[in-house]
Amino acid sequence: METSEKLPKDIGAFHRQRVGIGSWFQSGDPWIWLTATAVGACIVAVLGLLGLIAFKGLAHFWPADVVTIDFEGDSGQFRIAGEVVQREFIGRDQYMEASPTATQVEGEQVERWMIKSGNRKINAPDFRWVYRHEIVQQRKDCDMIVFERAEWGNAYGTLVEIKEQGQSVSVDNLWGELQNRIERVSDLRDQARRIQKGAINRINYKLEKLRLEKRNRELKGIVNHTDLEIERERLNAEYVVEERRLRAITSQLDRDEIDLKIADGRISTVSLSDVIRAWRPNEMSLWKKLGHYFSSIWIFLSQESREANTEGGVFPALFGTVLMVLLMSVLVTPFGVVAALYLREYAKQGPFVQLIRIAVNNLAGVPSIVYGVFGLGFFVYLVGGSIDDLFFKAAQPAPTFGTPGLMWASLTLALLTVPVVIVSTEEGLTRIPSELREGSLALGATKAETMFKIILPMASPSILTGVILAIARAAGEVAPLMLVGVVKLAPTLPIDGNFPFLHLDQKFMHLGFHIYDLGFQSPNVDAARPLVFATAFLLVLIIIALNLTAITLRNRLEARYREAML
Amino acid sequence: MTDTTPQQLPGLSRSRRLLDGATRHVVGAGGVAVICAIALIMGYLIWVIVPMLAPSSIKHIATYSQSVDQTLFVATDDTFETTTLIRSDGIVEFRNTEDFEVIQEARIADGEIVSVKPIFPSSDSYAALVDNQKLVFFKVAHVVRFLGDERRIENSVTTLFEDSTIELKDVAEYDVYRSDTTLRIALLHNDGSLVVHEYADVDDYFELEEPRQLNLPPWNHSVGDSEIILGPRGRWLYEIDTSNGEYRLLNIASIRRVGEIHEGLLGSEDDQFVSATPVLGRYSFLIGYQSGRLEHWSMTPSEDGTNLQRIREFEYQESIAKVIMEHRRKGFLAIERSGLAHLGYTTSRRTLATIDLGKLPQVIEFSPRADRLIAVHKNSIDIYKVVNKHPEISWATLWGKVWYEGYEEPVHSWQSSSADTDFEPKFSLTPLLFGTIKAAFYAMLVATPLAIMGAIYTAVFMSPGMRKLIKPGIEIMAALPTVILGFLAGLWLAPIVETHLTSIMLLIVVLPLGVLICAFLTTFLPRVVSARFDGWYAALSVPILVLLAYLTLSNDVWLSNLIFGMDAKLWFYEKAGIDYDQRNALVIGIAMGLAVIPTIFSISEDAIYGVPQHLVHGSLALGATRWQTLIRVVLLTASPGIFSAVMIGLGRAVGETMIVLMATGNTPIMDINIFQGMRTFAANIAVEMPESEVGSTHFRILFLTAFVLFALTFLFNTVAEVVRQRLRSRYGNL
Repeated sequence: METSEKLPKDIGAFHRQRVGIGSWFQSGDPWIWLTATAVGACIVAVLGLLGLIAFKGLAHFWPADVVTIDFEGDSGQFRIAGEVVQREFIGRDQYMEASPTATQVEGEQVERWMIKSGNRKINAPDFRWVYRHEIVQQRKDCDMIVFERAEWGNAYGTLVEIKEQGQSVSVDNLWGELQNRIERVSDLRDQARRIQKGAINRINYKLEKLRLEKRNRELKGIVNHTDLEIERERLNAEYVVEERRLRAITSQLDRDEIDLKIADGRISTVSLSDVIRAWRPNEMSLWKKLGHYFSSIWIFLSQESREANTEGGVFPALFGTVLMVLLMSVLVTPFGVVAALYLREYAKQGPFVQLIRIAVNNLAGVPSIVYGVFGLGFFVYLVGGSIDDLFFKAAQPAPTFGTPGLMWASLTLALLTVPVVIVSTEEGLTRIPSELREGSLALGATKAETMFKIILPMASPSILTGVILAIARAAGEVAPLMLVGVVKLAPTLPIDGNFPFLHLDQKFMHLGFHIYDLGFQSPNVDAARPLVFATAFLLVLIIIALNLTAITLRNRLEARYREAML
Repeated sequence: MTDTTPQQLPGLSRSRRLLDGATRHVVGAGGVAVICAIALIMGYLIWVIVPMLAPSSIKHIATYSQSVDQTLFVATDDTFETTTLIRSDGIVEFRNTEDFEVIQEARIADGEIVSVKPIFPSSDSYAALVDNQKLVFFKVAHVVRFLGDERRIENSVTTLFEDSTIELKDVAEYDVYRSDTTLRIALLHNDGSLVVHEYADVDDYFELEEPRQLNLPPWNHSVGDSEIILGPRGRWLYEIDTSNGEYRLLNIASIRRVGEIHEGLLGSEDDQFVSATPVLGRYSFLIGYQSGRLEHWSMTPSEDGTNLQRIREFEYQESIAKVIMEHRRKGFLAIERSGLAHLGYTTSRRTLATIDLGKLPQVIEFSPRADRLIAVHKNSIDIYKVVNKHPEISWATLWGKVWYEGYEEPVHSWQSSSADTDFEPKFSLTPLLFGTIKAAFYAMLVATPLAIMGAIYTAVFMSPGMRKLIKPGIEIMAALPTVILGFLAGLWLAPIVETHLTSIMLLIVVLPLGVLICAFLTTFLPRVVSARFDGWYAALSVPILVLLAYLTLSNDVWLSNLIFGMDAKLWFYEKAGIDYDQRNALVIGIAMGLAVIPTIFSISEDAIYGVPQHLVHGSLALGATRWQTLIRVVLLTASPGIFSAVMIGLGRAVGETMIVLMATGNTPIMDINIFQGMRTFAANIAVEMPESEVGSTHFRILFLTAFVLFALTFLFNTVAEVVRQRLRSRYGNL
């Protein structure tokens, strides 16, 4: 092992005369400093990048104070309440360009703040730039409430009164009452969701199955469908019952309303059925804020997204990513290991195997989008199309497997990552001293027994490393998935309570694609941005954790073999 | 590797032997399967591409003896099951395509139909001129119905506009254009007057309202020789003298008054004009000449308005008697006087196949899908099978400049939107190749110096403790999903670069210079202290870099006023005429550079670190300084490894998708300017593949680009791998 720098310490430094720049340059030291600067720049870039994502991603969940600000300036006199999202300086030229009516300002730069004032639908726009020098007064009102709404983003305002079926409710503790009623609405909403996702979804699934069964029989020339009709009637009746239950619940949702006083003094009525959470950040203690912070993170991880993915959580995307990666690793592990075993242990070593080895190595460098193209053309259109023709005639012309989906995505990514597993496994196999093999064979074990009992266990850490690296790569890959199965919004998870439980033909959501979609296809980029950072942070966390595991495993493995060799 | 299991070992039980054999077979089969799967990728890509190269053909498949001498016009349905013949005695016949017996007839006019023209740009409605006195409009429909499992085609002729026939007087020539809202009829009367009628709010089932009328200035050419054709969107009117090829082009965009009028001559003095046929969309014409030349003339914008200009030509043997067009593409069939017919394609300037029709047919038409050709003679009907899948592609159209309709000059252009009569897809790969190279170039410009210099320091000078941290740290960057880099580049970096342009550019100078100055200052420190810095330079440079970057970026306004006297973007625009695009090559260079750095860094660090120690010691012992040893011994030895690192990095930069997709505007322009975006092969695939129709030319071209990417990266990586293996053996020998 190397224990010191490649080039020994600069002994000359002790003897050199300090004679200025010329000799300094002659010593070559400046160039060394320059190379060091390159490393420094890389470190800054890596740390800066990770820090930026972590900071922006995590800050999103913090219940920021709501500031009420009075303005007086070129754009008139007005008051807004909201969270200060960003502060920055812009040049005077840019400022003059943006607001031509503005009076001359002092100095080279103008400070501007971006305020998230919410209240979309009540008071547009929900994000606005304001200039620091136009602020007359700012304060934090204790009774300022943030409402997280099911639609149209946050609302900010103070609570005036609560109304039940149009009648004002008189209680002392208005805030406590509001929380109770929000609780009630959220319970109702949960019930409704359970019916929708549970019973109704199940009935619809069965009805669709029945339709396909009927079509199947028609194709076979069977004309008697009475049993199917009876079943269909039964399901339809069941559906009516469930729907009535659902309607009973949803009709209760609209019972309560609140009157909200927003910053400009207007009163706005909001139905409580739209409100998901409400909090008063200005009067929260640090502990309360922390509690709120972690509950926000939990919501982010465990709930579905709303509002074209710009609000709510990322659970379906997280679930889709994990499921797809799991399926992929189930596919890639056996094939990768078997291929490596074949190349290292069974195939006759020669130029041909060497050639294949180079080819496998190179495949790891082939752009992922090429795999996507292959997956779309070969798996989806060719194989999937053929499967549809053979087994899913009834569903046609709607494709079942002849369209991008979970299975094809996993297969494509398995193909993409199989070189990683092969290379890593091969590396592990070469490290096993041949004496061990020979010893085993000499003791009378067959080759298969040697492999199962000696070689594979010894190579298992490197196999694992390969699989983890493959998973890390697959989890972050987006380009091929855009072609073979990822969607912006999947109505159901690919695993549910309907037989066969795992739906390989379904499209799914993915964290990486979620980032792309949120950041670049979203109708409201300002609202989506914090969520993109949060999602990106989650993805980075997953991938770095996987990689660190792989690196640690590799190091342990190295240590173990060093011991074994001694 | 090691010897195989002794097969006849005594005492080896049957089950053990079986397991051993089975394992061998399973592993063998599995291994071969994986290798085949890998080969399959390349094979499949090629399999999709190859049909583009397949030759086209026309074959005569059948002749049917039928008395069809009254036929004026022939058309077939989409699936080539029914043929529609419009006869001069006012009858529309439907014939099946099995034996061409009449299966249905309908009368559409009482008098003699002089001529029939499809209503431009529809493919199922027609206008017929009856007795030179009135116009009849009708629509032909073929509707497929299922009665149980039986498939039936219902053919019908419907008269349009509530039976309104337009009464006219002595019409010599006419043409009809219809959009969703208006119907325009151009009429040339026997007395030489030229009129355009415009009807508003046209509906199939209502009567036509009172038209608005535009009288056009008469032309001093013989009425009998003149042909009138309404141009694109009914806004132009061509009038062509078929005796000599002189033409007029009238702008009738407004029905109130005629716009500019151009006159000209289709062809040259020494060649006799024979025929002019509008190409699909009617932006251009195919002009046939006596000598067998066929020229393609297109509307071209120029300083004095739009006029026709020759954009390409084909050479055939004899006088071009007739040219017919495909219905959905810009393909044509040019028929010589003798009946020799050439299947060609305008945009790609290809003649794809030639067939002898025997004699010049009375009427000849392509089927809508251009897979059949139906030629009607006096007493027979000939059917030809046409196989012509991808005529728009040739080596020249993919890579070279092509003169498209409506363009001033030949250009490289990629606009793949699906074809319709108004638009032709443009498949030049050059802008995409250019974009790919441009993105990779700027990324490498950022990544190569940083990564290699970083690798040098890490491998040679860095203290081992720090190296243990730094190397995996930077390698983790390689695993960072590019979608994250892309989104940061597009949403966070691009706006910052835009507002801090001056300081971002200054950083290239400020950072190294600043560190050097600080480094020089350390030489004034006591030697005991400064010697301790050795091996920790990189760590020391970090705070300096952060501080300098912060100072530079936060004083951007001041700096740009100092250097440019104004906002940098403005300066570039005013002084250099460079337009600034927010998502540009600079942003790509930084973001993709970051993605490539770990790859290059890791491999070249390995190569440098692997240089045998005794070489270094030898050099130092001979009195060389550390830097001299590095440059003349270490780097020289490791250079193949560094080269292969750069190659692999290049491979990654070429194929990177998400960063370019998210951090550029994805416009396929060819502009080397660093402040403009680009579209790369990979991003283009990601954008267009999901919408591409399977089996279409566009689909196959996208596969071709995927294959080009595959081949490029495979090449880069193979070169790198071979170099690396050589290097390994060389280290062994040293």
